[in-house]
Amino acid sequence: MSKQKSKKEYDFKAAKELFEEYLEKGKKKTEIILPKDTVKINDLNRKEAINRIHNLTDELIRMILTTGKPSIQLPSRTSSNIIWDKKNDLLLLGKQIMEKHFHSLTSVVDITRLIKVLEIVYNLLTEDIHTSKRDVFYNDVKLFGKQDASDKCIEDVATMLYTTRNSTRVIANPRGGCVGRLRIRDKNDIIDLETLGSGTWPISPYLDQIEVLESDAEFILVIEKNAVMMRLTEDRFWRKYPCILLTAQGVGNVATRMFLKRINKELNLPTFTLVDSDPYGHYIHSVYLRGSKRLSYETPFLATPNIKLLGVLTKDLDEYNIPKIARLPMKPLDVKRAKDMLKEDFVKNNKKWEQDIKLALKDKVKAEIQALSTHGFKFITEEYLPKKLSTGDWI
Amino acid sequence: MDLKKKKGVIMRIFHKKDGGVIQLIEKKKIMEWPIELPLIFVEFIRNSKLDTYGDPKVKKEIEQYLEEITKDVAIPRFIDVLEGENYEEIILALTRIEELSKKKSKIDMIKPIEKYLDNLFTSNNKEISRLANNISKSFASAERKKKLEKKRKIMKEKEEKFLAGNISAEDYAKARKEYLVLKD
Repeated sequence: MSKQKSKKEYDFKAAKELFEEYLEKGKKKTEIILPKDTVKINDLNRKEAINRIHNLTDELIRMILTTGKPSIQLPSRTSSNIIWDKKNDLLLLGKQIMEKHFHSLTSVVDITRLIKVLEIVYNLLTEDIHTSKRDVFYNDVKLFGKQDASDKCIEDVATMLYTTRNSTRVIANPRGGCVGRLRIRDKNDIIDLETLGSGTWPISPYLDQIEVLESDAEFILVIEKNAVMMRLTEDRFWRKYPCILLTAQGVGNVATRMFLKRINKELNLPTFTLVDSDPYGHYIHSVYLRGSKRLSYETPFLATPNIKLLGVLTKDLDEYNIPKIARLPMKPLDVKRAKDMLKEDFVKNNKKWEQDIKLALKDKVKAEIQALSTHGFKFITEEYLPKKLSTGDWI
Repeated sequence: MDLKKKKGVIMRIFHKKDGGVIQLIEKKKIMEWPIELPLIFVEFIRNSKLDTYGDPKVKKEIEQYLEEITKDVAIPRFIDVLEGENYEEIILALTRIEELSKKKSKIDMIKPIEKYLDNLFTSNNKEISRLANNISKSFASAERKKKLEKKRKIMKEKEEKFLAGNISAEDYAKARKEYLVLKD
């Protein structure tokens, strides 16, 4: 590869074919049927969420009046209760139930914190406002001690109400950005994601107020790194190749993953990830693909099961002549992560993916997306991405 | 154009000749929006996006779809509010209608609302009555401009016929007088 500008014209044939296939499938779209041994979670509106809290408290009062020993039951979020649904390719929460007793010395602190968070959630819903995880912690620092404790209770409350965290009105801090051929409604404003100057639209955590209005995009590209996103934005990549670009600057947070899931599903668009060629990059892709273990209870609302790993693959390093100097040796932690990935059922069941991780382990190399810049700053937008999307070279 | 009517369909899909696809939110979803938004959305697509779509056939189909949204969703929702008793909502709706009534290209879009203004001219609420009167004046002015335009065309034809000696000076003078009266 030379540093000269590419004169080649790419037709994006493979990506377009995938889009046509998805549009056809979209016409017959059916709801995902989850396995019987997994927990069903619903995205609730304000009124429905308030009703669930009323039902839960009614039940607690009934227990107090009848047995005098109230307790709360909720699905266990331990790793032994996380199930990989092979058919839908999702990580889900099983039906193991744990019980927290009000009258037990071991769980009294835990249950007090839990009820405090439940009260906060109830107030947020009745006042029709949102808050952040940090604000919940500061609501009663003495009780929670550390934010980890309040964060855990927030997830417990969502689980015991059998709903998503977004439905509890406790939102994550905005971290992701999006730009490209998409028009959305954010409450009463129409936002054109093509006319944002040199910036991106910060993906709003208030997703209940966001609606997709219009798009002429033909694919979505999820980028691990903000620096690469900036490069593509500066080149106005979406003008030449109709697409939507999105980044979460690392592992996708809840808002970014939920927003991605929404645009992928509503617009039937092929979706690709562009991550570093290392085990952590593969992990980031896997979180978009089938969800994280920690938030497995709301995986159906967060995962994008048809997302493809476009690059940077280990095999790309040779195929695109990335110089040895731009490659990095794998550290022991990388090796461990790669080996752990190989143990995952969803990797074992995807031969191309397994092969690529094995190749990385064999060569003991990794590389950042920016290693592609050794062929020039525009190589990524004018050669690498167009070629991969035209030839269908993805996992 | 794919007219996917089944339950749960969120976007309406338009296929371009070059293989490109344009997706617009389905009409049913717009029904749940705040009252003034459907017209803002229609205007946004018409003014900012329509010309970028390229394919004339698709542009025509989308133009038709936008009219459908206006006729089936935006206007009926305005009417519901105008016939209601919530003054705050009525003022919000009338303010939006007044803005649109000042634009030549938009006034026909809100014409179906005209007959619902009658009861509002004498409303106890002064703001409602003022807005309703302003809108009515805009409708009247637009109507007069339309008639004048029509008459101007006829006048031009008469002039040509008169100069060619095909009509009498009397007929020409009669037409000219009608035109001038309307113009004043």
